[in-house]
Amino acid sequence: MKHDPRTDTALDLSLSEISALAARAARGAGRTWGEAEEAAAAACWLARAGMDWAGALLAVLDSTAGDTECALRAGIALADAAALSDAVTPARRRLDCPGFMLPFAARMAERTGQRITLDWAGTRVVLAPGAAPRVEGPVSIVGRAEVTIQPDTGGRTPCPDWPQTHRGAVSARHYARLMQFMMAFTVPTSASSQAGAGAQEDDND
Amino acid sequence: MSCAGLNPMPQARAFRRSPDEVMRLARMGCSHPTRLSFLRQLLRRMQAEGWRFDRPVWEMDAKGVGRAVYRAIGPARTYSLVAFAHDLPPEARSDRVIATAWDATFALFDGTPGAADLDRLAANVPLQEAGRVSRRELSLSRANRSVRLFDHVVERLAAGAQPDAAMLLETGYLMRTTAVYGAGKFGAADRAVIGARPEMRAPFQAEMLSVWLTRAFTVDLVDHLARAKGGARAARLAPALKRGLGVGNSTGLGMAPFLIRHPVLLNNWMLAREEALARVRAQTRVGAAERAGFRSALETARENAALWTSAHDIQRAKLADLRDSLDRIAAHVAQGWDRNAAHPWDDLWRWGQETLPLEGQEALLAAMLEPHGALIDGLGDCMDADEDTQFPINGAMKLGELRSILQAHYAWALGIDYTARAQCARFWYVSEDKLEPRLGARHDEPGAERELPLDTGRQAAALWQALQGQPDDLPVAHLLLAHPEHRPAVRRAQITARHPFAEIRDNLIAAEMLPIDILRCKLAFFGATRFDPRSDRWVRISLFQDAPYPEDLNGGGHEA
Repeated sequence: MKHDPRTDTALDLSLSEISALAARAARGAGRTWGEAEEAAAAACWLARAGMDWAGALLAVLDSTAGDTECALRAGIALADAAALSDAVTPARRRLDCPGFMLPFAARMAERTGQRITLDWAGTRVVLAPGAAPRVEGPVSIVGRAEVTIQPDTGGRTPCPDWPQTHRGAVSARHYARLMQFMMAFTVPTSASSQAGAGAQEDDND
Repeated sequence: MSCAGLNPMPQARAFRRSPDEVMRLARMGCSHPTRLSFLRQLLRRMQAEGWRFDRPVWEMDAKGVGRAVYRAIGPARTYSLVAFAHDLPPEARSDRVIATAWDATFALFDGTPGAADLDRLAANVPLQEAGRVSRRELSLSRANRSVRLFDHVVERLAAGAQPDAAMLLETGYLMRTTAVYGAGKFGAADRAVIGARPEMRAPFQAEMLSVWLTRAFTVDLVDHLARAKGGARAARLAPALKRGLGVGNSTGLGMAPFLIRHPVLLNNWMLAREEALARVRAQTRVGAAERAGFRSALETARENAALWTSAHDIQRAKLADLRDSLDRIAAHVAQGWDRNAAHPWDDLWRWGQETLPLEGQEALLAAMLEPHGALIDGLGDCMDADEDTQFPINGAMKLGELRSILQAHYAWALGIDYTARAQCARFWYVSEDKLEPRLGARHDEPGAERELPLDTGRQAAALWQALQGQPDDLPVAHLLLAHPEHRPAVRRAQITARHPFAEIRDNLIAAEMLPIDILRCKLAFFGATRFDPRSDRWVRISLFQDAPYPEDLNGGGHEA
């Protein structure tokens, strides 16, 4: 899930740009505003972790998976339910684009104060409260996988600190697709709006 | 508020105004700058910490085209305004966001820029939105000349004379910024990069620093052009005239949704100001210095109100209210105010509430805060916000509690019939051309299906309806599984329960809603003066009028 700069030219975006783009793209792709806000927060989390936030977001937005297999919806439900119990209950579920579940599982780790592991298809990610994710193995963002979520009982290896940088890379191809989604939710400025905003006035005063 | 636990004046709590009173647009639209405003905080810090300022680059031709660098050197870090001055034909001059060229363009650089940085910025900053800045930049902005005044000043200085003082007072600035972008926009550094630095912790400090240094640039530019034109006989702008000049700003709808999209931040701004007022009202005596400072603040407010003009009917009525109110306050302070009352400032405040219009009440607030720096300036440290920690929804909250929150904080929203045309006449959207927030007419214009979630009252009312018949002990997480469309309203309600000043308590899609009320509130927190609406959705204002210049602070000793 690390970004591969060889695929095409990468753009370097600030987190606020990623947040705005992700929220508007998710909304443009037909998600509710609540989901769009969550998708934006998740995209920022993935970007800070150095992961391919745009590829993961696009995989979610393109997915035809139903509610239960959608990593965004499942992630939201997981994070919302985190406060209902003090303990992390082991669970196994089938998800499309499991990498997008990570930010929500991290919120559960934060909420419960416990380390959590997610395992799928040869990948293990350890999430500890307040720390960046520790990734073992390749992180695949495409396709469906059986994901196991459970408390991290055995591991003692510390998770890394969050990096100081607050940026995220996006390939030109992914950026163009996210912009396409975003534009679907914009509205042409009306003549009356332009007039009210002063477009008819001369500013040479 | 992040430092609530450190509150040294718990007795002030009894004097706090309620959010239902404060968070109404009619009152927010009467906001005045105070000593807690962000530009005042910046000036105080730079003065207290002995910041130094210089201008290491000034490469400007006789037409005023070139580049300059202004540095602000603090105890720990240096920030540099990189300015590019252009030759702009009059037909290209527009203050709208749709403009593509400006008289001058700027970036605030984090540190001292090297030659490569300047070349990179020269290739991007003049393009503004069409260019790209980097993580080394903290803001991106542009300004246009106030042509009539700018040309007059250059002409007079070139002839060895000073400009007409009345003309300077009337306009109040040589250039006006038409956008000041910060916090990660167009590739700039995110707020999180600088938010932990003491000098950047208060909101919008990078943007305020950029505008303050821009003010110095505008004066240097007229001096430069006058010298280029008049040679040895040219005069320099007299310090007294210079001091009265600020930087203008032309701003529109784009900044209005900010206060709605950042509820925790809005709460912290409001709460700090309200706590400041409560602390002053809780005082049991009026000290001689405070009394003198208050009278001086009133006098300054009256002078400002006399110079403050607007062509907009709504603002003209407000200005009439303001001038009348200030006269009445001055008369009451001279004759009717019982300074021996148990809480004399509270006594004065209550008199104002009973007798003054909103405009006068909020002006009184600003004047009452002014002489109480020692009591309230520390509240400036509480005006930032860690929004990320407030983002997660508490899924364990029971619907009974959510219902109580809506009753306590959203009563203003629950009784409105949002199907009535006037109550849903507007919709907020993102424009296709500039990706900027705009306001549409729901019943006359297309696009309402792509509405932004700024219809806070309508959403709260819909959530309220969805809760009807639901059991009190059901967790919010279960409701949201079945009704994900209520997620934004649940989040806002939970935030507002923790931060009671987070929500503007008015219907933001109503026909009668005035976006300029939102703008005035935000701009007052910046420290803006001379609020001058040009329609119900865009305004001109002034920043840093009568404030010191870099060379004044270099020498120290000026009251910010």
